[in-house]
Amino acid sequence: MTDVALNAVGGRAAGAAPAASAPKARRSWAWLGLVPFLAFLLLFLIVPAISVFSKSLFDNNGDFGFGALKNAFTGQNLDAFSFSVRLSALSALIGVIIGTLLAYAATTIRRPKWLRTVVTAFSGVAANLGGVPLAFAFLALLGRQGIGTKVLEGLGIDLYGHDFALDSIWGFATVYSYFNIPLMVLITLPAIDGLKTAWREACANLGGTSFTYWRRVGIPVLTPSLLGGFLLLFANSFSAYATAAAITTKSSIVPLRISFYFRGDISSGEEQLGFSLAAWMILIMIVCMGLYWFLRKRAERWRT
Amino acid sequence: MMPVEPQFGLSPLVDPELGGPPTGPVPMAPAPVGKPSKWIGKIGPVVVLLVCLAFFALPLLAMARFAFQQIPVITLRWSDIFSRWTLRFVKQGLDDQPLRNGLWLSLKLVLATVALTMALLLPTTLWVHLRLPKLRSFVEFLTVLPYVIPPIALVAGIVVVKDNARWFLNSDYSLVPFYVVLALPFTFRSLDAGIRALDVKTLVDASRSLGAGWGTTLFRALIPNLRASIVSSSFLTATVVLGEFTIARVLLKRTLPTELYTFQQSNAFAGTGMALLILLVTTLLLLILTLVTRKRGAAQSITVF
Amino acid sequence: MSSLSYISVRKTFGPTVALESLDLDVRNGELISLLGPSGCGKTTALRIAAGFEFADSGAMLVSGSDITRTPAHKRNMGMVFQSYSLFPNLTVAQNVEFGLRTRKVASGERKRRVGEMLELVQLSSLDNRYAHQLSGGQQQRVALARALAIRPEVLLLDEPLSALDAKVRLALRDEIRRIQTELGITTLIVTHDQEEALGIADRVGVMSNGRIEQLAAPSEVYSRPSSAFVARFVGSMNELPATIRGADAVDVLGTVILTPSAAGHDAGTEVLLLVRPEDMVVNAEGVTGLVGSVTSTTFQGAATVVGVRLDVIDSLVHAHLASSGAGHLAVGQRVSVSIDGARAVTERVDSRSEQTDVSV
Repeated sequence: MTDVALNAVGGRAAGAAPAASAPKARRSWAWLGLVPFLAFLLLFLIVPAISVFSKSLFDNNGDFGFGALKNAFTGQNLDAFSFSVRLSALSALIGVIIGTLLAYAATTIRRPKWLRTVVTAFSGVAANLGGVPLAFAFLALLGRQGIGTKVLEGLGIDLYGHDFALDSIWGFATVYSYFNIPLMVLITLPAIDGLKTAWREACANLGGTSFTYWRRVGIPVLTPSLLGGFLLLFANSFSAYATAAAITTKSSIVPLRISFYFRGDISSGEEQLGFSLAAWMILIMIVCMGLYWFLRKRAERWRT
Repeated sequence: MMPVEPQFGLSPLVDPELGGPPTGPVPMAPAPVGKPSKWIGKIGPVVVLLVCLAFFALPLLAMARFAFQQIPVITLRWSDIFSRWTLRFVKQGLDDQPLRNGLWLSLKLVLATVALTMALLLPTTLWVHLRLPKLRSFVEFLTVLPYVIPPIALVAGIVVVKDNARWFLNSDYSLVPFYVVLALPFTFRSLDAGIRALDVKTLVDASRSLGAGWGTTLFRALIPNLRASIVSSSFLTATVVLGEFTIARVLLKRTLPTELYTFQQSNAFAGTGMALLILLVTTLLLLILTLVTRKRGAAQSITVF
Repeated sequence: MSSLSYISVRKTFGPTVALESLDLDVRNGELISLLGPSGCGKTTALRIAAGFEFADSGAMLVSGSDITRTPAHKRNMGMVFQSYSLFPNLTVAQNVEFGLRTRKVASGERKRRVGEMLELVQLSSLDNRYAHQLSGGQQQRVALARALAIRPEVLLLDEPLSALDAKVRLALRDEIRRIQTELGITTLIVTHDQEEALGIADRVGVMSNGRIEQLAAPSEVYSRPSSAFVARFVGSMNELPATIRGADAVDVLGTVILTPSAAGHDAGTEVLLLVRPEDMVVNAEGVTGLVGSVTSTTFQGAATVVGVRLDVIDSLVHAHLASSGAGHLAVGQRVSVSIDGARAVTERVDSRSEQTDVSV
């Protein structure tokens, strides 16, 4: 993350805390200041999360069992998992490759000088665009009535004749790329900046070509960041709901399946499955983010 | 619009200076051996840039065409490209009552979320910096938790208490605390960066030594200096709230995104037009935000990753 | 036998002229230091030798062969950069053998040479470490080993000590010199630190604005600077207004000083007399006509720097005295100053405006 400038001085009060208080008493008093925040998080984040898990482990009769969690991998839910995983991996891959190339382009092209700033600014914006409007945009472009579709037809490429659909894996991946690529650009730019020109020159000086440099220094150094980026984009794509919901009414991915179980007030009787899907989703997110964190720390180690 | 799903994306508005600007007349990397790779080296990046530019512009242009041009795609020919553009559909959108209500509700939610966020986070972040500096990373970690629990999973958790908390969930404002949670990673980071750029301890000491109470210190010494952070957190929160679809939908609330979705189904043209407008507004908000944080320098950047 | 030659090398970056027309011969086994303020072109010159820049016109020769257009990776130079040039993902040993691998040296031979190089820089025990685990000084030693492993014809060093702490700097400086002499390798080192340049080089090239002002042994550059720029840049100088009195004398505020530097100017010309602090002697009041008061005495160990404000022109001069002789001087004390003009340099006053920017 950003520089963590830990104040090594410790919890010494800024005001005039009575020096006579025992440190222990003073410290627990200071803790109280966090209570509102902690309570809020507990109530509105932790409790719902835990409820998801408890509901997946304990059925309506109160019996404990991993049954629901296992059942999450059957039938339509299994299809949804499979599709989600494949889709997320594909989107992440596209995002990593194009995002890195774009970030590299932004750092290498020196003129005009404002190019990098513009790319960064627009990436910051585009990474946050998505959801319903984005879906509409792609519907207008590549939907059955989309103008892009029509133009391609004119060029002889029949998209829909080739089994393309906006809610197919490639359709989704294309739409997701709209925010995945900028996200990758933003997290990769610092990593690329970290590639010192001295390394490139030293490599040339020692007899290496461009190819040698990338193969033996550049890519290896970038790899933790690239992997981390992949994980982040994977997590991002996996948990995406709004964009998908606006594109299709079918529940082909896990988030859509979850909402299928919970929409409205109709009790479907199978809610436990919904909860277990959500529980699995959280677990996947934890793993992805945890690995991402670890990789980031490793990458930073090499950045002096 | 703000999706909350690219919530990770939500403002990794990296300050461009953060990565370090190229120093001075940076010499170009040594020319690689052989002509082909030299060309790739020079043309490649430009091609990538142009392709990406096209990719990002096209959907928006398609949206505009769909919403503002009266010709259905099927009958469209190249010669028609400049004919029959109209803002009629936009007007229809703006006239639609449910949509207007949705917008109104969303705006109110923005205000409420910003207010609750500030009321909760300002004292907390200040407190952590002043009294519990060792816990700073722990608190930071806590604020990253919302990433691990995506909105769709969170809303599942909310549904669990649906029967018991009906009194609470019935109100439209029940969305507010969850929106605060969703925006937490960004708002915390923004405030935190702003506070770190100040020397809070000294400011507080100075203010207190001049006889001010905590209230005065907060409102007259600290908050004015945190204006940029507060503004940027608010903008970010606004973009989150205006785009949040998942929770609102499952809880059957009628906010802007959900109303837009419904509206689109009856009037695709106007719906797309409104969506484009919203995209443009969000883009504008975020661009202003980027410019503001950039001027303040790296300390106020809101890098989340 | 390797030598490095610049023949009328010229380089511009857009409107800026980095190198005017550089002619320089680094003889076999010699260590030349290019010294100058930032922007003087020394780094550009080095980078042209390495192949990271190409000269606009002129030629670069290594031992007679023309390498002007040879790409960097085909040259056989060893380069040590200012900092952070070790490949972070490779160990020390892997860094050092990098150049050997690109030259397809066999594995056994590589290991042997790496061991040899690490021993040369006294870092054999750290061969499995990574760059971020080493101190700045250690990193530069590895960088040196890496550059030398390929047995280059010429060794190039770009301000190798600037990023290091003072103490480390001194130790490493001597080590570089030791290794260079031991291997007899032709070396070009760029620095802005004059102490470094004077202490390490066989010859020093003082540069300013893309040109070499003087190329000579350190002692000569110091005691017989060929221009006012060199005089000011290397060491410190006192500046006193004077008038030419003849071919061998100037008049400084009423006192006549004998100095060979007066030659070449017409009598009566207004000049600035540049005198080294160690060529000034502080005497009791009345000994000479240059009278003033002591403003400060700064003890520096063996020498003491005494600041004297001269009455007549209200300007401050500094004299270096042996501390043993300066003990009795107190601030405010009235003294008189005498000048040994043997090594002084004169500079015409009106040419100062033509003088190129002497930023230090």
